[in-house]
Amino acid sequence: MDGSNGQYAIDLHDVQKIYRGKVHALRGIEMKVHHGEIFGLLGPNGAGKTTLVKIMMTVVRPTKARGTVLGRPIGHKPTLARVGYLPEHHRFPQYLTGRQALEFYAALAKVDRSTRRKRSLSLLDLVGMKEWANKRIATYSKGMMQRVGLAQALMNEPDLIVLDEPTDGVDPVGRREIRDVLLQLKERKKTIFLNSHLLSELEMVCDRVAILVQGKVVTQGTIENLTAESQRYEIMIEGSAPQWTGEFDDLRAESGSDGQTLLVRRGSDPAQVQALIDRLRSDGRTILSVKPVRESLEDLFMRAVTDPKTGKTLAPGAASNANSSKGAGA
Amino acid sequence: MRLFRAMLLDAYRELNSKKLFWVILMMSGMVVLVYGSIGFDETGMSMFFGLWHSENELLTKGSFMSSLLYRSIFSTFMVGIWLAWIATILALVSTTTIFPDFVSGGAIDLVLSKPIRRVTVFFMKFATSLLFVLLQVTLFCVGVFLCMGIRLDDWEWKIFAAIPVVTLFFSYLFSVNVLFGVWTRSALAALLITMLLWVSLWSTNQSEAILAVFRTQFTLEVERADESIAQLEESYAALEVDKTEQNAPARQRLKSELESSRNERDTTLELIGKIDNWYKPIRTVRTVMPKTAETIALLDRWLRRDTDVNLFDLFQGKVASDDSGDFRVTNTSDDREVQRRIQQEYDAKSEVYLIGSSLVFEALVLSLACWIFVRRDY
Repeated sequence: MDGSNGQYAIDLHDVQKIYRGKVHALRGIEMKVHHGEIFGLLGPNGAGKTTLVKIMMTVVRPTKARGTVLGRPIGHKPTLARVGYLPEHHRFPQYLTGRQALEFYAALAKVDRSTRRKRSLSLLDLVGMKEWANKRIATYSKGMMQRVGLAQALMNEPDLIVLDEPTDGVDPVGRREIRDVLLQLKERKKTIFLNSHLLSELEMVCDRVAILVQGKVVTQGTIENLTAESQRYEIMIEGSAPQWTGEFDDLRAESGSDGQTLLVRRGSDPAQVQALIDRLRSDGRTILSVKPVRESLEDLFMRAVTDPKTGKTLAPGAASNANSSKGAGA
Repeated sequence: MRLFRAMLLDAYRELNSKKLFWVILMMSGMVVLVYGSIGFDETGMSMFFGLWHSENELLTKGSFMSSLLYRSIFSTFMVGIWLAWIATILALVSTTTIFPDFVSGGAIDLVLSKPIRRVTVFFMKFATSLLFVLLQVTLFCVGVFLCMGIRLDDWEWKIFAAIPVVTLFFSYLFSVNVLFGVWTRSALAALLITMLLWVSLWSTNQSEAILAVFRTQFTLEVERADESIAQLEESYAALEVDKTEQNAPARQRLKSELESSRNERDTTLELIGKIDNWYKPIRTVRTVMPKTAETIALLDRWLRRDTDVNLFDLFQGKVASDDSGDFRVTNTSDDREVQRRIQQEYDAKSEVYLIGSSLVFEALVLSLACWIFVRRDY
């Protein structure tokens, strides 16, 4: 296996999950993750992110699912030998040491003994836990557990690494270290599927993201593409808005109470604002600042979780009535 | 095999981390030590390596009675009470958390996300969980084997049969524990239900045993009555042939005796019928239930020698030597016959039936537990 079976590392179609009690957790997920990229999954609490991850990892059985993981159908057990997984709120047996835990789970992933031994120490070193290798997990802090959890997910030298809230409980230094590890893995052409609610972190490492709201993917793509529509230039000038602003397409003026005016020009092309600047200069206007502005991931996220009709944030959680969303993902 | 080794090692580490495992092991060691401390010399018997001594001409070194006592302590107390009850309860308490912990959130995700089928994971976990009992009983048997060898110069290899027998017996109960552990995810609920089932099994077993004694006694009475009636009928028929005025009172007496015997027999048969109303359903129920007591009793069946007696009979003074010099339980002939028939009935139940029917029960319970484990979303 070269680790690149199929066009996508993850290719999901119409993934649905209805829990007992008719909770419609996933309502037809369509998602594609390319080989060798870091893919971020975002969503408010109860959107179905963890359910989706668990379906890919065969921990939860889907109600309906088509698609592949590493070129094999979802739920294909042998493929999991090539997947590393760090669950959210994972719990290692407290009686094991960090090294023993790594070796035990690697054995379950069918890694041979000598490789387990070699790799456990090097991975503990990678996540900064070598000194604690032979200490019981019961003595570890939350952050340490996450580090060992990450090392565990890498023990089988996976092609795809699925991490569910990997920086949960980790201090800022640890977060940075984990981020560096992820970037190293990306350099080694590993595919990383990251589920996190820390948008700033995802923004720093992810090539592409998907936003899940109430069991459906509302948007997915590269952060640049997703925020392209919102790209603009903001020019702050002294005095009131010029009379000629209507001559420029996509230009609007916002007058401030301090005698300053903000001119906003939509688009990402710098050439578009040159003519505007020239015109302001020829009018003798004082330009206070020129800023290219792009929507942050947080802005994008907030936009995705806001109901366009009411302008209110969508209620957290999945749809509670299966019938209400019947066929939503089809 | 790699998976099994890994899970076995994990099970060992889990046991190793449990204080209760070591406490039970120490208690087990103490029991063996006390057993080993019993000694015999030329004047009598001693305990606690000579701290307590009792002069007894029967219980001297190398005597048949001392050997009998030593073996009886093993079969009655060490197996019948320690292994079958106390150690098993402690083992259940120790292992009841294994499956609820295993299926708890955060722990099970790590296992299920590996390239192993859920069915395989389940049965491997079950098999490796029996390691607790396996280790405890093995060390216990080694201790008892050495004690018996050193004290009696009797190197009884059959003692090691206790390892599979006790593990098997424990597995019947543990399968129920696993079912409720997986289903409720509560160690306490699983333990309580298992204990309840065990007590129920014990109660039905005792009920069957008590009813069997009465039934056999009454059956014996009916047989005796039948014999007596046959004799009376014969005598009466003879008098009827020579019917004279002189033998009229005798005929009358025989007739009334015959009538009374028939009535008594009919009453006893009626009683047997009443007993059967309970005895037969209990027997039927027990056919499909695990044979916990009988499985442990297999050890007695395999280790028993013709000359062995029960320790309680020995203490109650019911044991004496017979004409051949062997020691026997001194019951009445009817009691002996009842005991013989019951023993015969038990011995007639083959090992295949006792173990096989119990394993069928265990397999059904485990299949249900496995089905729940495999179908569940975690």
